[in-house]
Amino acid sequence: MKQEVIGLNHITVRKAGSVLLDGISTVIYRNDFAGIIGPNGAGKTTLLNVIAGFEKFEGKLSLFGKQETWKRSRQTRLRIGYVPQLFSVDPTFPILTLEAVMTGVIGRVGLFRSPGEQEKRNAMRLMEMMRIAHLADRPLGQLSGGERQKVSLARAILQKPDVLLLDEPTANLDIAIQKDFLLLIDEIHKQEDLTLLYITHDFNLLPSTMRRAVMLNHGKIVFDGDIHAALTGDTLSRLFQYPLQTFERDGRRFISYG
Amino acid sequence: MVESFIEALAYPPIQRAVIACFLCGISCALLSVFVVLMKMPLIGVSMSHAAFAGAVLGLLINVDPFLSAFILCLIAAGILGPLSDKTDIAPENVLGIMFSFLMGVAFLGMGILTRTKAGALNLMWGSLLSLSSSYLLVLLVVTLVVVSFILLFFKEIRSVMFNRRLAASSGVPERFIYYALLFITGAVVSANLSTVGGMLIFSLLVQPGATALQLTYNLKHFFWVSAASGVGACLLGLVVSYLFDLPSGASVVLVATIIFAVAYIFSPKRRSKKMKGKVLIS
Repeated sequence: MKQEVIGLNHITVRKAGSVLLDGISTVIYRNDFAGIIGPNGAGKTTLLNVIAGFEKFEGKLSLFGKQETWKRSRQTRLRIGYVPQLFSVDPTFPILTLEAVMTGVIGRVGLFRSPGEQEKRNAMRLMEMMRIAHLADRPLGQLSGGERQKVSLARAILQKPDVLLLDEPTANLDIAIQKDFLLLIDEIHKQEDLTLLYITHDFNLLPSTMRRAVMLNHGKIVFDGDIHAALTGDTLSRLFQYPLQTFERDGRRFISYG
Repeated sequence: MVESFIEALAYPPIQRAVIACFLCGISCALLSVFVVLMKMPLIGVSMSHAAFAGAVLGLLINVDPFLSAFILCLIAAGILGPLSDKTDIAPENVLGIMFSFLMGVAFLGMGILTRTKAGALNLMWGSLLSLSSSYLLVLLVVTLVVVSFILLFFKEIRSVMFNRRLAASSGVPERFIYYALLFITGAVVSANLSTVGGMLIFSLLVQPGATALQLTYNLKHFFWVSAASGVGACLLGLVVSYLFDLPSGASVVLVATIIFAVAYIFSPKRRSKKMKGKVLIS
C-alpha cells in the first residue's frame, strides 16, 4: 500500500489581492517523482513554498501524516530538502565549497555541537558523486553556475531528507550542464529513498525517472497523472495556450514548439 | 609627539578612552561582519539612528540615554525584522522610511531640547574623554555578549549569512539568529553612542567587515581581521585625535576608511581576479 507523504487539501494562497493558488488538492506518495509543470505565473513556486514552509496558506496541509501550518518544527524541516533556482554568490564571500555543502547538516547536528568526521566524509562522498570533490577547497563564489547547483543538490541531500523539492534547478544553465544535472537527479532517485517534487516548464529536459506530472495553470491543477499521458499535444497546447506537438525518439517523448 | 600620548596614558580619562576604543572596536567590527556579508548596511544606519533618537528622547525626559537608546533600538529591531521579512514590501523602502523617521525624531528632540544641547551633541559625535567607569562596564558586558553569541552559534551564523532561506529549510533556527543579531546590533550601537557617536558609528558597522572582505575567504579569519581592523581604527583614531587635537569620532572614522582603502588596494582577491583574467586572455 502506498504511503502518503504530502497531503494538500484545498490549499489557497492569496497575496496583494491576487490568488496565487486556488484550492489545490492532491496527494504525493512515498518515492513519487512528480514534476510540477506549468507556464509562468501558474503557481508552481508558490506550491513548493507552501510545502517547504515559506508561505502562509489557507486549507489543510499534512506532511508525513501530521497537520502542518506554515510554521514548522525543526524535525519537520529536516525531512524536507530544498534546492532553489541558481542564485548568485558574491565571488568574495568567505565560504568554501565543502563548507557550503556542510551547511546542509547544521540543522540536523543541532545547537552547541559541531559536525564530526562522519558528516565530513558523507559530504565528500556526495561531492564525489556530483563530480565536484576536487573543488572542495575553492571559494563557492568562484564556481560556475552548474557547479554551484551541484553544491546546492549535495547540500540538500546531506540533510538526509525524506522529500526533496527542486525549484527549476537547471534554469539558466547551459544545455550540456542541464543534461549532466538531470542524470544526477535520476541517479539520486534510484539510489536514495526519496520523494521528489521537481518544478519545470521545459518538457524536453525532464529526468527520465520522473513518473508523474502535476500540471498547474492560474493557481489550479489542470492535470494530475502519468507523465506520458501529460505529454500530449492537446494537453500541452491547452496548458500553454500555444500550439504544441509531441514526437517520439529513442523511446522518449519530445515537444515541438513549431 | 607620541611620547606625550604615552605620558597622557597615566591619566584615568585617557585610560578609560583607550579601553572604550578597544571594546568599541571589537564589538562594532564583529557586528560589521554580519552587516557586510548579509548586505544589510541600511539596517546598521537605521539602528544607529534609532539609538541616537532614543538617547535624545532620554535626555528630554531625564532617563539614562543608554537605556532609552537601547529601548528604542529594541523597538526598531522588533519592527524592522518582521517588515523586512515580508515579501510584498521592499526591505530597502522599509529601512529608508524607518531611517528618515528616526532621524526626524532625533532632530525634533534636539530642537525641543533647550537646556542640555551639549549632551545631545556628544551623543551625535561621541565624547571619548568624558567616559565614566560604569559606562565602560556596560560596554564590556555588551562586547562579551557579542563575542559569546559568535562563539556559541558560529556554524548557525555561517549558514544564515550564506543564505537565510536555505538555512531555514535545513532546520537551522534562522529567525532566532537573525532577530538576535538585530537586538545585539541595537545593544552595541546604544552602548557605543558615547565613544564614536550616533552619526559616525555606522562607519564602524561597515568598514571593518568591508576591509576583511578584501583579505580572506576563511570566515574565522574574517572575524579576526575585522576585529583587528576595528580595534586598530579606534586606537589609532584616538592617538591621532589626541596628537592633533581633532574630534575623536571623526578621527576614528577617517582612520577606518584609510585601513579599508589600503586593504582594497592590496587585496589578494582582486589580484587573483586580475591574474585569472590574464590567463584567460592569453
